Amino acid sequence: MINILTLETTGKYGSAAVIREDGRVFCASSETEMNHLKDIITISDEAIRMAGITKKDLTHVAASAGPGSFTGIRIGVTTARTLGQMLSIPCIGVSSLEAMAERVLDAAIAAGAVYIVPVINARRHQTYAGAWEAVFTTDHEHRSAIAVLDEKQYMIEDLLSDITARSAETGKVLFTGDGIDAYEEIITDAFASADISDRLILADTDIRYQRADAAARIALRHAMAGKTVGYDELMPEYMRLAEAEQRLRAGTLSEKIRKVGQI
Amino acid sequence: MKNGKHLTLGIETSCDETAVSVVADGRFVLSNVINTQIGIHTQFGGVVPEIASRRHLEKINDVIEGALSEADVSIQDIDLVGVTYGPGLVGALLIGVAAAKSIAYACDIPLVGVNHMHGHIAANYLEHHELEPPFMALVVSGGHTNIVNVPDYNRCEKIGGTRDDAAGEAFDKVARVIGLGYPGGPKVDKAAREGDRDAVAFKRVWLEPGSYDFSFSGLKTQALNYLNTERQAGREIRVNDVAASFQEAVVEVLAEKAVSAALEFGQKRIVMAGGVASNTRLRELISEKAGAHGIEVLRPSPALCTDNGAMIASAAYYAYRSGERSGYDLDAVPALEF
Repeated sequence: MINILTLETTGKYGSAAVIREDGRVFCASSETEMNHLKDIITISDEAIRMAGITKKDLTHVAASAGPGSFTGIRIGVTTARTLGQMLSIPCIGVSSLEAMAERVLDAAIAAGAVYIVPVINARRHQTYAGAWEAVFTTDHEHRSAIAVLDEKQYMIEDLLSDITARSAETGKVLFTGDGIDAYEEIITDAFASADISDRLILADTDIRYQRADAAARIALRHAMAGKTVGYDELMPEYMRLAEAEQRLRAGTLSEKIRKVGQI
Repeated sequence: MKNGKHLTLGIETSCDETAVSVVADGRFVLSNVINTQIGIHTQFGGVVPEIASRRHLEKINDVIEGALSEADVSIQDIDLVGVTYGPGLVGALLIGVAAAKSIAYACDIPLVGVNHMHGHIAANYLEHHELEPPFMALVVSGGHTNIVNVPDYNRCEKIGGTRDDAAGEAFDKVARVIGLGYPGGPKVDKAAREGDRDAVAFKRVWLEPGSYDFSFSGLKTQALNYLNTERQAGREIRVNDVAASFQEAVVEVLAEKAVSAALEFGQKRIVMAGGVASNTRLRELISEKAGAHGIEVLRPSPALCTDNGAMIASAAYYAYRSGERSGYDLDAVPALEF
């Protein structure tokens, strides 16, 4: 009997969900933004109670491992690793972007979108993004999202030139994520320039951001497929080197960025 | 509990050491595992917070495992989890806090958040098993320079602190400028042993009479100006002499004020703590000055002066015994006051 605790702390509001083998999901969210560390155990315990189980009944612990807020990623991954270590259960890493696509899948299918593009704002026109094809087969009403573009860091302009080209050829695109909040004008302009404004859909704000229930559904699929790891193999997915590391590799490390720790 | 001993797991990740330890009865170190990042940060000339945070995450679980196995105990034997929740680098602190809360929750073990600076003082309980408060403490590290009156286990009354740079910061800056590199404290200490401490007349900053506060930024500036002048005049910089003279100006003020504080508060003992407590000349000078007044000076061994989990376990143990508990909502507090 599978019971997976899934942590989602890569966005503004932290959440935790327990998914049971039959797919029922119980999700608790933090009510204060960027309060991940303070709330993580409390919301995890809340989700466990809502599911009517105890922590000893957990069979896996999953974390949305990124991309997203570096600090948030670390809180989720460290908590998942340590819970896995202490409860002697395997861990599961979930892509935050894939979980965001999962969260809007029904909305995408309802709106007739061919592609789902989750976009996380990484500032200065940078994004973490990917693209999924929304597939709906009337046979058993099966819904799935198939990755069609690498998950990585994109300049918003580069991402849009790829997506608008696909859209012009194939059909509607549903954008989701806080990248919309940051780059809405750039996104709508790009579709207007390609003369396909009618093919652009922006996810409603009530389903736009990361939440643990979506990540939990992916975690359950990974668990069923045996895609689990030991606690020490659960790794964060930052998608970006630390700035000092980038400069070290580029040979442009300057005195300015050498921030000496205060303790 | 194992063999009738109360066991505390102490976790410390406030800066660049991922450290976990098991301590029995708040006094006896059963294991003290430290994964240091000094080698990584040396190439950047100092601790890079983002890199430190990433490294803590990668190491914390192995270090926990190592501390348990080295102490030959299992997590079920642990009675208390203590963790540093401040002060320190926020990204680094939160790794320890997240791990500690997860352990406490998963295994139903009480949790106590510890002030890193109280931990440094508690390092002395691990070294000197008979030591009990009251005493005066001189806490000197990379980020802190404090004189603290300790009337009992759970009270730390700060009576003096730095108004600008910490002593360790001044050491780091001057070490970098004279080409000794990072970490500055130990390197200046070593170079100073070969130098003449009267070679350069650096000022002693006493501040107003009766104050136990410190100020090192003026001294730091004086040292930098001195080096500039000498270089511009084409004179050779005698690194060992500069190190010795600079160090003397810092430690003389530290030693003098700590002894005055002990005398004013009627304390018979001065306890040293923090990374700079390992400084050879500071140890020598403070023992000399205190000895003249019949005041005993205690210090932890160098291994316990640097950041470690054992000192956090000890501080957590005494806080726990006086009824302190942290909830699952424990947060990291980077600017935690003494």
